[in-house]
Amino acid sequence: MPLLQMKNVDINYRMKKNEVKAVRDFTLDINERDIVGIIGESGSGKSTLAHGLMRILPRNGYMKASEIKLNNKDILNISDEEFRELRWIEMSIVFQKAMSALSPVHKIFDQMYDTILAHKPQVSRNEAEEKLSKLLEIVNLPKKTLNMYPHELSGGMMQRVMISLGLIFNPKLVILDEVTTALDVITQGQLLDEIKRLVNEFKLTVMMITHDVGVVNEVCTKIAILYAGELLEYGNVKDIIFEPFNPYTQALVESHPDLNPEGSTLKGIPGILPDLINPPESCIFYDRCKYRKDICKNGKPELQDYKGRKVKCFRVGELHG
Amino acid sequence: MYRLSFLCSFLEVKGLSSLGRFIIRRTLSIIPMVLLIVAINFFIIHLAPGNPAQLISGLEQPSPEVIEALEEQYGLNQPLIVQLGLYYRNIFQGNLGYSFIYGTSVNGLIFERAGATILLTVTAAIIAFIIGTLIAVWVGRRKTKVLDSIFSVLAYIFYAMPSFWLALVLILTFSSTFKLFPTSGMFNVRESYEGFAKIGDVLYHLALPCATLALIQIPVFFRVTRSSIDQVHQDEYITTFTAIGISRKKIFKKYVLKNAILPTITIFGLTLGYAISGAALVEIVFAWPGMGRLMLDAVFRRDYNLLLGIYFVMAVCICLAILITDIVYALVDPRIRY
Repeated sequence: MPLLQMKNVDINYRMKKNEVKAVRDFTLDINERDIVGIIGESGSGKSTLAHGLMRILPRNGYMKASEIKLNNKDILNISDEEFRELRWIEMSIVFQKAMSALSPVHKIFDQMYDTILAHKPQVSRNEAEEKLSKLLEIVNLPKKTLNMYPHELSGGMMQRVMISLGLIFNPKLVILDEVTTALDVITQGQLLDEIKRLVNEFKLTVMMITHDVGVVNEVCTKIAILYAGELLEYGNVKDIIFEPFNPYTQALVESHPDLNPEGSTLKGIPGILPDLINPPESCIFYDRCKYRKDICKNGKPELQDYKGRKVKCFRVGELHG
Repeated sequence: MYRLSFLCSFLEVKGLSSLGRFIIRRTLSIIPMVLLIVAINFFIIHLAPGNPAQLISGLEQPSPEVIEALEEQYGLNQPLIVQLGLYYRNIFQGNLGYSFIYGTSVNGLIFERAGATILLTVTAAIIAFIIGTLIAVWVGRRKTKVLDSIFSVLAYIFYAMPSFWLALVLILTFSSTFKLFPTSGMFNVRESYEGFAKIGDVLYHLALPCATLALIQIPVFFRVTRSSIDQVHQDEYITTFTAIGISRKKIFKKYVLKNAILPTITIFGLTLGYAISGAALVEIVFAWPGMGRLMLDAVFRRDYNLLLGIYFVMAVCICLAILITDIVYALVDPRIRY
């Protein structure tokens, strides 16, 4: 039984005159202990998806779906108050911009203690301090960090604080929303090692949102390719990176330096994202696809099971038969 | 400020906290700042045409001998730079000189008026700060468009209102029509109240001028706090706390408020700084015996010493207000360290 089941998720943003359809018909099951990299370029809807799952979309955003289940429990049709009770206990999120993810004028301890109090009001200050010091130790931060303010820490340290904050109640599912994006490569490497260690230690299931194929390759077990709000391919990381079936995945892998043989020329993907206010009726990647044929213009391809993974492409059988 | 870094290194040896060092350093930095302001005011005033000796003499066409004698008496025949030096010496002795017009010491004149002005302006500023901020918080929590629009329009109307006009309208309404408050003055001159009765009498007279000033300042605090709350609501940590499941009420009370109040503190500090200069128009309409009127008189009658004295006191007060604002700000916002 998968830990997280999402069926036909649509997320739209209301604008003044029209709506941006940021995520469309997204269906994905995440199994327990999977580390799923959700990858896509800017505007592909990957963060929107995470925010939708956490019910923290901006006021003009709303989500529709036919089913969302966490731990076999419906989390789609429950009230905000019911949802509040499972926040952080069942799933937590670590944000991209760690430096501004906590209040600048409150001590880190106060903010972490309030996190505990939000769900366990009976915990005393001393108990909290003990628990939090241990937690910080696990992410390699000194105890005195608790008495500091966010601006007194570096970006990497703040990201560790945010990760430890997300682990306070030892939730099953942790969403990492571009946690390494704002960091330099060295800090990024250290943090990725740490994340790998924590995943084992806390037995986590992780949804890792990133635009960096290299990061996914290093940490994740599964990869989901998101393009312009649609899921194009999903499967084991190694399979997909070594033999991408969807033309977009292929183009994405070809444009990443670490995944290509040395000396080979990197390829960009010509063209731009399609208009998300009126998304095309054809295959979503049609405009930029180098394998496109006339059949690709006729309606949308289904997400199909193909050779142990899920792929959305009319010509997958033909190209990878 | 940085010129005094040698002092800081000296103070560091004494092991003061960084905030303590900041306070001492900023306090000391006020001295050169005020002296510079005095010099600038001094020269600007002397740029104005006209000879004070003529005014002092009180004559239409004083003879050159009278002028000369008066210039000699008041030191007006000395070079400007020497006059400035003399003025500095007097300031350090706590003497702001004699008013040409009133013939009494400037210290006395200012002291007499400062109390009335500060009572009026500071009370108004505090009331405006409290009411403006409270309305902003109240509206900001509800997030209903209607309330927001109503108060925004009201804020614009009152902010754009000329103070003397509002003062007249208030007098017309509350004094003439409803006879609730006195039209002018600070005391009832027909009675000689003592103790609490006197305080009550002053407060009674204070009501309308204070209301006028407060009504015009409330929009400032309202708008600043309101937009600040909006801004903070969009900050990322609010999303974090929502995701965590901390209740809306707690997020607002503990996190939004403390972050949103920062710019309001600055505005309040600046308002206090200008409190001493009074509100001439309102003071005149209500015949409030304050600094604003004194200053206006001094300008019209070219009373250099009085004017310089008032400017000096104003400069000191503004510097002190900014200093206090900075200290309060440093206490609230840990990012400010010096």
